[in-house]
Amino acid sequence: MGYPVCLANDVTNGSGTGTRFEAVAPAAVRPNEDRLRDLMVRYQQGDAAAVEALVANLSPALLRFCWGPGMSHHDAEDLLQDCWLRIHRARHTYLPSEPLLPWIFAVARHTRLDAYRRRRRLGSREVLVAAGPEPPSAAPAPDSEVMDLVNRLPDGQREVIVMLKVVGMSLEEVARATSSTAGAIKQKAHRAYAALRQMLAAGHSG
Amino acid sequence: MAELQLPDAKIDEKIDRLLELVPAPEVSADLHRRLSGSLAASLQAVNPLPSAGVLVVQFGSIFLLFAAALIAILGVAGFRMLHTWQALGILVLLAVGVSLLSLALAWQIRPGSLQKIPAALSWASFGVGFLSGAALLFPWRGAKAFVSQGWPCLLTGSAVAIPGGILFWLIARRGVPLSAGTFGGTLGAIAGLLGLTVLQFRCIHQDAVHIMVWHGGVLAVSIAAGVLVARMIERTLRSNRL
Repeated sequence: MGYPVCLANDVTNGSGTGTRFEAVAPAAVRPNEDRLRDLMVRYQQGDAAAVEALVANLSPALLRFCWGPGMSHHDAEDLLQDCWLRIHRARHTYLPSEPLLPWIFAVARHTRLDAYRRRRRLGSREVLVAAGPEPPSAAPAPDSEVMDLVNRLPDGQREVIVMLKVVGMSLEEVARATSSTAGAIKQKAHRAYAALRQMLAAGHSG
Repeated sequence: MAELQLPDAKIDEKIDRLLELVPAPEVSADLHRRLSGSLAASLQAVNPLPSAGVLVVQFGSIFLLFAAALIAILGVAGFRMLHTWQALGILVLLAVGVSLLSLALAWQIRPGSLQKIPAALSWASFGVGFLSGAALLFPWRGAKAFVSQGWPCLLTGSAVAIPGGILFWLIARRGVPLSAGTFGGTLGAIAGLLGLTVLQFRCIHQDAVHIMVWHGGVLAVSIAAGVLVARMIERTLRSNRL
């Protein structure tokens, strides 16, 4: 199952700037928010069936979000497990009147950042004793061409593009997930698109 | 090459369409089973954290109670010296500070909150507001024994802020702050505000420079201490996990 998103019409908001980056996924594709909230409330009440349904509905989007540049599928799955453990520990902080996806992705983003820092710290402590065989999981998994380009963006821009365009979250939802503002997210998306255009142009001229 | 001559909007549309077609990575049935199984194994009903409004009222009430108790112990000699307009001005400033920092703390402990004012901006805006208020409300007298009169205020304010910070942490620890530094700074800011409030009631040196440097200093020291302590705790916990 993919995450096709359709762009909202080029409506102009109150501030006079277009909502070019306001992506809305078709209801049939993006998990229904009301259903997700209902599952989350049942999860908070201790319903095991709701946990299973939530894991099934959200894991593909979370896995896509976790799957950073240079990561193998195995690494991304490890990160996904870590995300779910943290979601489990933090489930009491979700308020049913609030949108669910920003809450989920805020926790997932924090897990990713932590994992990134951990990898960096471990890398700095490791001492090369001998050149051994490359572990199979170190090889990055093949991805679609456009995701290869997205993965070359700075991490802050990459996560914004994935949440906006691949998962189909709105600007406000991404702002919530990243503890930022809708204006800052829009700016990051603009920069990311400018960088993607450059990469495409470089690819064509090369 | 023809595509290179397309306007940016057209290229963006093409990128959008490509992103629409990105396939979702597959989550294996085995992983799904493991994930659901491990979560279900430790599944218990939980009480959701109250809404941001309720949390703000909780933090504000604790602030008022603790401040009232400390003021009752340490006295109101300084507050008695103020004119009505000075007293009203400083009370309004303190009330705005408590509301702003309580809201920032409530947003910090719940992931996915729409933070209309970033935490660091709320510390800074209260700090600037307090300094401007002090400059406008209080007289600029000559600074006699500036350090010897000011130092005890900084110590008293910081001594009040420490148990205040612990108290607010006890309430806030049910939440899940995602940025240790920002959480620590906000906790430090509200604890520092408690110290500052007690000083505004107790201290008899009610002149602008003294208040701005020594009372305002409590806020700055508390924020810095909050950020540092939170980062140190986070680092220690991380290295223990490795």
